[in-house]
Amino acid sequence: MKRALCPVCSGSIDEQFLQLQQLQDESSPNFVSEVVNIYFHESEKLLRNLREDCLVVVDKEFSDYKKMGIHLNQFMGSSSSIGAQRVRNVCVAFRAASEQNNRAGCLRALELLEYEYCYLKNKLHELFQIEQQRILAAGVRYPQQPNNP
Amino acid sequence: MACASGGKSEGAAVPDQFPVGLRVLVVDDDVVCLRVLEQMLRKCMYNVTSCSQATVALNLLRERKGCFDVVLSDVHMPDMDGFKLLELVGLEMDLPVIMMSADGRTNLVMRGIRHGACDYLIKPIRDEELKNIWQHVVRKRWTEIKEHDHSGSMEDHDRQKRAVDDAEYASSVNEGADEVLKAQRKRRDSKDEDDTEFENDDPTTAKKPRVVWSVELHQQFVSAVNQLGIDKAVPKRILELMNVPGLTRENVASHLQKFRLYLKRLSGVAQQQGVLPAYCGTVEQNLKLASLGRFDIQALVASGQLPPQALAALHAEFLSRPAGNLILPAMDQRTLLHASLQGSKCIPVDRNVAFGQPLMKCSSNITKQTSQSLMSNEDVHSEFAAWSSKHLGDMAPACALGSVNEPNSDMLMSFIQQQQQKQSIIPEPSRSINVQPSCLVVPSQSSPNFQAGNSPVSVNQNRGFRNVAVDHNNPLLQSNNSSGVGQTSEVESKPPCMLSEFGAAGSVSSVSSCSRNVKDVACQRVPSSPSTINAVLQVPNMNCMQGSYNGKLDMVQGSTRNSIYVGKGTFIPSRFAVDEHEFPVSNVSHQVKHYVQNNANKVKQESNMDLTENLAWHSEAALAALFAPQTTA
Repeated sequence: MKRALCPVCSGSIDEQFLQLQQLQDESSPNFVSEVVNIYFHESEKLLRNLREDCLVVVDKEFSDYKKMGIHLNQFMGSSSSIGAQRVRNVCVAFRAASEQNNRAGCLRALELLEYEYCYLKNKLHELFQIEQQRILAAGVRYPQQPNNP
Repeated sequence: MACASGGKSEGAAVPDQFPVGLRVLVVDDDVVCLRVLEQMLRKCMYNVTSCSQATVALNLLRERKGCFDVVLSDVHMPDMDGFKLLELVGLEMDLPVIMMSADGRTNLVMRGIRHGACDYLIKPIRDEELKNIWQHVVRKRWTEIKEHDHSGSMEDHDRQKRAVDDAEYASSVNEGADEVLKAQRKRRDSKDEDDTEFENDDPTTAKKPRVVWSVELHQQFVSAVNQLGIDKAVPKRILELMNVPGLTRENVASHLQKFRLYLKRLSGVAQQQGVLPAYCGTVEQNLKLASLGRFDIQALVASGQLPPQALAALHAEFLSRPAGNLILPAMDQRTLLHASLQGSKCIPVDRNVAFGQPLMKCSSNITKQTSQSLMSNEDVHSEFAAWSSKHLGDMAPACALGSVNEPNSDMLMSFIQQQQQKQSIIPEPSRSINVQPSCLVVPSQSSPNFQAGNSPVSVNQNRGFRNVAVDHNNPLLQSNNSSGVGQTSEVESKPPCMLSEFGAAGSVSSVSSCSRNVKDVACQRVPSSPSTINAVLQVPNMNCMQGSYNGKLDMVQGSTRNSIYVGKGTFIPSRFAVDEHEFPVSNVSHQVKHYVQNNANKVKQESNMDLTENLAWHSEAALAALFAPQTTA
């Protein structure tokens, strides 16, 4: 499935996503969607956590920023691993704000992050939908292989 | 795998196939990264084992020694710091460890290098980078072999070692090295007459086998140095104090050199909080073990509160480590600590005696090679204690150590338990200096965690991961996973549900729409029936992008409602939004049921086929992802 990045997702995802697509093969036929779903699942947890972190944080309360940093780092890691470029960039800005104990900045960054994440999610869903329709159109047979009991 | 491992040693087996089959262990709490890495590594034809918990990974490494060639570990993990895992792996298994992180800032990378990482990869990791990780395995092996060759010659053995050490000094990044080197040279020069004195012994020495610094021997060395005082300790006097037949001044001198180097590095640690001094060359292996102690000691020293007695006690604990049958429990160590705390801080002799005791009980189970390395590290600790007593001045031992005591004891206990489990430490014949014994270990959760199926940890042994949702079905029903079992019953009692998950409105689509056939890919709106689970699954309407993402992540609904991706394999997207309060397992079952019904059994069959082979990993991975939220904030 080596196809170019769908223009639908322009900007939201980068070449890393292409790599993901290249990793998909016969032995892992649903690799991309699988990973993306895991990402969505994890991200929503993380975003929830981040929102909580933002809400409870008070300037100069080191520990709360630390938790935020941990969540951010994880979000950055997973986002970059699937090629969610814009989400990752916002995370970087978010991290900078949290390291400066800038509560307002963190809140702003959180909003931006949530927006970007939402956008990404939609784009990826469109991408999958397009892909699915493409496959349908190509007439892929349903799995009725005889080796299935 | 056998031939693969053979291929990795020098020129053996099938060189042209190397690095195919390289056995990699990936540790990352981020399931996304873990999955991607696993796939990439598999594409590199490596034999991949993935793990989302550091403690489990450590157990895996310990239980299957020699089954892995390289470890990839994330830096930030909830249960254990990646750097700590790095040190432990380097110490216990002496495997190359590559760190990874989304945070690629210089200070963090520097820390990784200082902790001994072979490499530091910044996420996102490209598969080209992974293709190259075999170089670290090869490099490590060849370095070991070179060292062995270095010290192979008997005649020039000590002189060679000194030459190597000097070279290490020269190349050491430690700025204090030069000073130490000068001091060493001064001492050596001043003792030239001693050289002539011992020259008669040189031929004898040359014929004798290489001196192995056993635990007892090193302990004697340390005692002698402590008695003399680190500044005044000269090889000749040390030799006299040690009174070990057959030991030459050269042996002592070279050992002392290493010892001082280590101390110097430790002193660097004391000055720079949290920064570990760099190690280099053969000395590094000797001192790897110490790095673990450093890990704790450094923090203590950095806080400026670690008294020499504490160090001595810790040192004693390290000394007692190699004893496979060490009867001396952590209890005694604690007593030791307390006793040392009570006493005056400047009774080096007492200190030495105190931690000399455990040594007596040290068995000789461990290979000499192991003890040697141990000894050098332990020496450092006591030496550091002596050194620090001069430099750190008066401290309040009781309170400082009191807080440290418990964790150390706990770690000790667990360590001792671990140690007793390990019967023998496999020496590496190619090296006389070998750091093998395990060290302080994160307590408690080690063994239980790694019981397969009990912990929601994904440990993957080269299994393909195909269908996410489907696999949940079997584990729920069949697995012995305690967590899974407990949930399973609950799940099955719930009516089938679920669907494409995208967005959760807090109402559980727990009942009705499940029965509908979603083959037409139209997502039905799930009636908001009251749900016992505060689940999140809701089938949004097609083409309905409702609501922007809000804090609860409930209302985001993508444009794609397709819950089935028709293709070579079937696929059911796992829920996109999961409320933390829900039963993840129920979601899983919901997905499964949905999947089953929607595909009218066609896909189900295929998924069942996949299930059997992908069972454990999928279930664990998915369950890990599902169960994890309940513990997070």
